[in-house]
Amino acid sequence: MMARANWLGEFFKHSVLLAGAVVVLLPFYLMLSYSLKSPHEIEANVGGFVGSQEIMTDQRCVKAGNPEEDCKMRPIVYNYTAAFKEAPLVRYMLNGVFITVSIFIIQVIVALPCAYALSKLRFWGRDVVFGMVIFCLLIPVHAIALPLYIMLAKVGLTNTYGALIIPWSISVFGIFLMRQFFMTVPDDLIDAARMDGMSEFSIVWQVMLPTAIPALLAFGIFSVVAHWNDYYWPRIVVTGNKDLMTPPLGLRMFKSDMDGNEYGPMMAATTVIVMPLVIVFLLAQRRFIEGITMTGMK
Amino acid sequence: MRKSRAHYWFIGPAVALMILLLIMPVFVAATLSMTDYSLGNSSFNWVGIENYEKLFSRRSYQKMFSASLTYVLLVVPISVALGLGSALLISSLRFGGEMYKAVFFLPVMATLLAMAIVWEFALNPIVGVVNDVLRSGCDKSLVYGLLSGSWLGYEPTTSWYGAACIKKFPLWLGDKQYALGTIAFIGIWQGFGFNMVLYLAGLTSVPRELYHAAHMDGADSAWERFKLVTWPMLGPTNVFVITISSIRSFQVFDTVEALTGGGPSKSTYVMVYAMFEKGVKQNLLGIGSAITIVFLAFVLILTLVQVYFVNRRVHY
Repeated sequence: MMARANWLGEFFKHSVLLAGAVVVLLPFYLMLSYSLKSPHEIEANVGGFVGSQEIMTDQRCVKAGNPEEDCKMRPIVYNYTAAFKEAPLVRYMLNGVFITVSIFIIQVIVALPCAYALSKLRFWGRDVVFGMVIFCLLIPVHAIALPLYIMLAKVGLTNTYGALIIPWSISVFGIFLMRQFFMTVPDDLIDAARMDGMSEFSIVWQVMLPTAIPALLAFGIFSVVAHWNDYYWPRIVVTGNKDLMTPPLGLRMFKSDMDGNEYGPMMAATTVIVMPLVIVFLLAQRRFIEGITMTGMK
Repeated sequence: MRKSRAHYWFIGPAVALMILLLIMPVFVAATLSMTDYSLGNSSFNWVGIENYEKLFSRRSYQKMFSASLTYVLLVVPISVALGLGSALLISSLRFGGEMYKAVFFLPVMATLLAMAIVWEFALNPIVGVVNDVLRSGCDKSLVYGLLSGSWLGYEPTTSWYGAACIKKFPLWLGDKQYALGTIAFIGIWQGFGFNMVLYLAGLTSVPRELYHAAHMDGADSAWERFKLVTWPMLGPTNVFVITISSIRSFQVFDTVEALTGGGPSKSTYVMVYAMFEKGVKQNLLGIGSAITIVFLAFVLILTLVQVYFVNRRVHY
């Protein structure tokens, strides 16, 4: 009797969760499916997941004066080539990689020594600096975007890579996280290094950095995900210059430049932008979930 | 510890950047909120609290506050409840929990702007899949009967679904009655997985012995166990999850900018979008800064409420 009740309960739980999973996955399914199908199939909502993949003619290619033979292709090929042709997707992706990696490296260079000093060095004003870090944790970066934008505009930095990177060079959260981590590192390790005649600088980069790898990894995931996905800040400081656009901003431009029924190429571009993070996430779920939730501050 | 000047080099850059990039902007915003400053103008006038008076008296800003507040009041309770519900279900599963966890967390990871565009296609009134599915249910008597409420004895055409079948299904993002709700739906879709993970972490920290003790005391049903043990023990997690989701949903921007642009008739004109529109698009930095300051005040109050509750309730 008991066993049957459990079995029923388990069945019920799975049905509820599966129904939720269908809704959660719906846009991912549509995105992939639309990126494979022909415009006709998308509009009529037919063809299942991959569509019939019948050879289609690219009307624009014909209009451009090419022989019709050269313009025939499978919808999947059409969607993805059009996505890369019509928008500088490669450029957007490279910008995204460059910006997120630069931000993370600078954040570490600034935060790691500070966290070390706050946890392992005794000096006048240490508590004041730590108090300042805590205070700054309260300031949502979203909220001060406007004054930051004004300041950057005043020094003529809008529409540069600098504008996309500099405001994020300080991560008070990174300092806080690293400090908490360093508190758990035994002082003996540092004393031993000092005995060996290491300077404080080498201690930070040759002793503390290697011990901090797990915490840095979590912080890195958080930082990269946040800045790869960030749309708000690039939208403010980049106006019109496609060479500087990040993937989400580029996609937004694609959307407003698009004429009506370019759903296929549009979804192909979306897929290209969303998938890298999703794939890495599926490969290293546990670390990702840890990295993003331990932060919470954003 | 030995005397060394190294710490100047260690904390110097961080302190300088904190002052320049985090603290100074707050003062810049506070100052500019009392001016009529615009980029490109060589001078500006002091206007005192005029900008704030506008914020609290004009109709368009009343709509802004009500849009932000409605959004938060829609997204926070629902995404917290869904997060808690899915965490409870997942943690009690015998198998497959990891899979659901990954699926529900996927939207948290995925680029929100990109997924918002996909939702826009899905919700498109003509070719979108959502209305297509809803429409197809109108011909199927079983679905129609179920959704229109006729199985409860109601007149089918008076229900929302029945009426929509006769006339048409909503424009979702283009109708001021539905737009904010639709944006909130995307926010819930995106955020509840985050809450779920926080609740899962909270659930693992509930001591097993308490469940045994509750069992001894005769609490046998799942509901009683939840009421007696799980819910009280989740107190600190609740406070954290609710504040974090409130702050996150106050900051909604991507979906509004990409899908509605604050419209129709300002029904989705949330604060961060208003800040962007006034300050960046229209170059009205005075009023934009005033919105910034009010926004900061809201977030600060939320955080202080959290600190208050955590200090009061974290110990048992």
